[in-house]
Amino acid sequence: MAIFNLKKREIECKVVYYGPGRGGKTTNLEYIFKTFRKQITGEMVSINTEGDRTLFFDFLPMGLGKIKGCEIKVQLYTVPGQVQYSSTRKLVLRGVDGIVFVADSLEVRREKNMLSLKDLQANLKEYGLNIFKVPLVLQYNKRDLGEQGIPLMSIEQMDQDLNRQLKVPSFPGSALKGDGVGVALKECTKLTLKSLQRELKWAQ
Amino acid sequence: MKNSSVIEGNLKFLSIGDIMQLLGSNGSSGILRIYSLYMSEPGIVYFENGNPVNASDGTLAGLDGLYALFGWTEGTFEFSEERASVEKVINRSRMGIILDSLKMLDDGDIVRLGPTPSDQEGKKEKTDESGNPRVNGPMVDYMYVVDEEDFYDGETISEEGKHGNWIWVILEGVIEILKETPKGPLSILQISNGSFVGSLSSFLVKDHTRSATARSLGNVQLGVLDSQRLSQEYAKMSADFRAMIMSIDKRMKQLSNRAVEYHTQSINIESFIKDKQKVMRQGETGKKLFRIQQGHVHIVQQEKDRYLPLVSLSKDDYFGDFPFFDMGHEPENASVLASKDLKIVSMDAGVFQQEYDNISLTFKNIIENVATCVSATTRMIQKMQK
Repeated sequence: MAIFNLKKREIECKVVYYGPGRGGKTTNLEYIFKTFRKQITGEMVSINTEGDRTLFFDFLPMGLGKIKGCEIKVQLYTVPGQVQYSSTRKLVLRGVDGIVFVADSLEVRREKNMLSLKDLQANLKEYGLNIFKVPLVLQYNKRDLGEQGIPLMSIEQMDQDLNRQLKVPSFPGSALKGDGVGVALKECTKLTLKSLQRELKWAQ
Repeated sequence: MKNSSVIEGNLKFLSIGDIMQLLGSNGSSGILRIYSLYMSEPGIVYFENGNPVNASDGTLAGLDGLYALFGWTEGTFEFSEERASVEKVINRSRMGIILDSLKMLDDGDIVRLGPTPSDQEGKKEKTDESGNPRVNGPMVDYMYVVDEEDFYDGETISEEGKHGNWIWVILEGVIEILKETPKGPLSILQISNGSFVGSLSSFLVKDHTRSATARSLGNVQLGVLDSQRLSQEYAKMSADFRAMIMSIDKRMKQLSNRAVEYHTQSINIESFIKDKQKVMRQGETGKKLFRIQQGHVHIVQQEKDRYLPLVSLSKDDYFGDFPFFDMGHEPENASVLASKDLKIVSMDAGVFQQEYDNISLTFKNIIENVATCVSATTRMIQKMQK
């Protein structure tokens, strides 16, 4: 659940990039940090966790308007996939408002994607969230590698593997080149705000 | 100091990382004190406009002191709004400190105070108050869950004798499996997280009738399994393997029926033993896996000079030493008594093992779970007869 900062008249919500290790979560955030420099307040925090990096920064989404006169600030996180980082995962996933699941298009990572999604569901459940209800988008990353002759899964296959039950928006992408990064984030923040507004109406 | 406290609570509920975020987004200035049972002095963090500026854990000061405080996972905290004239020695960003500390905590670089927290409650087989076994299943493979359903305490999920083709997996909660008897319903066993409701034959046989009643104990969340996917997978297995799965399933059904017979004392033990030949002795090792071609066998448990018939098997059923699971039956824990016309073929356990290794996790889980339920029900019968 987002935090309403009454002093600053801001609504802080939390969007988490989740996915298998080395799938491109960090590259996504780095691209956003580089490209949307003006919309970013403060520094990027980067922690070297084993096999993966954990990133964090604040982001001000454009063109989404205000809710009840409050500015909207999005905290972007990646979360280390390794089992041992449960404290970090707990802090990051607690109160998460939206999720971008970054899946790896490499054929050899097929199982890793599915395991990671399963893991996400289990983790969310621990914090009382349902994967079918939380705002979620999928990004099928590393599409550019196909041009180099590296075997990739087809979009259809990935949809079949990961999105058959979820039926959430999915985007092909190449975080390295920046393709599909902005749209995935935008769609996710849009869904997040929609769901926040729904919650607010209920509260009235 | 206590009187100037503006917020206080338990670290179990709000960890120091959470408190720092809260104070941070609130832009608070003041002193956070942390009390741990394992330390004589409180830990202290000084905040200015929401950012930590100095800290101490009793021995270390500054950033190192603050890092050490993340190891204080048990205890209480209080924050008071007071002006403190301390030197600003911490310059790192708030979120950076939090994320870094948690990483060090998980890596074991920060010492966690207190006795090492025990792992989550046991995952093994437990017993409820009445002493009946409770079976916990393996990790759920969510890829096979197509839908979720919620049931409230005491609701009937499936009813004995009614038609039903669903097979569920318990995502959360406990379910009691009951059989109808003339003396009222008999509780066979309790199953919880990861266990399956509905037998394997339920999605394979059209108009399948449920062999037992399943009722929720407390609120229960179930996942509906993708029966199409399961039956497709089943269709790809070899005929021998399919027959073996069905045979295990049959054991479970027979065993719960037998439990009812023991319960109502309508069983004639003599009829199981009379004119039978022992082909496998309880406790024997190095036995093989067999498939019955003709005749029938009874799997019977022996205790001193008492016989406890468990299940009766016939054509196309399997008995002997199953390679990849343990049902608590023959050959270690039961004998096999055969009719005179018995004809069997010896099966290659290695081939089964290979095929087992290649089936999906969900199917493995189901098979393993049925085997565990068989073994739990067997123990329940043993207890009933004591």
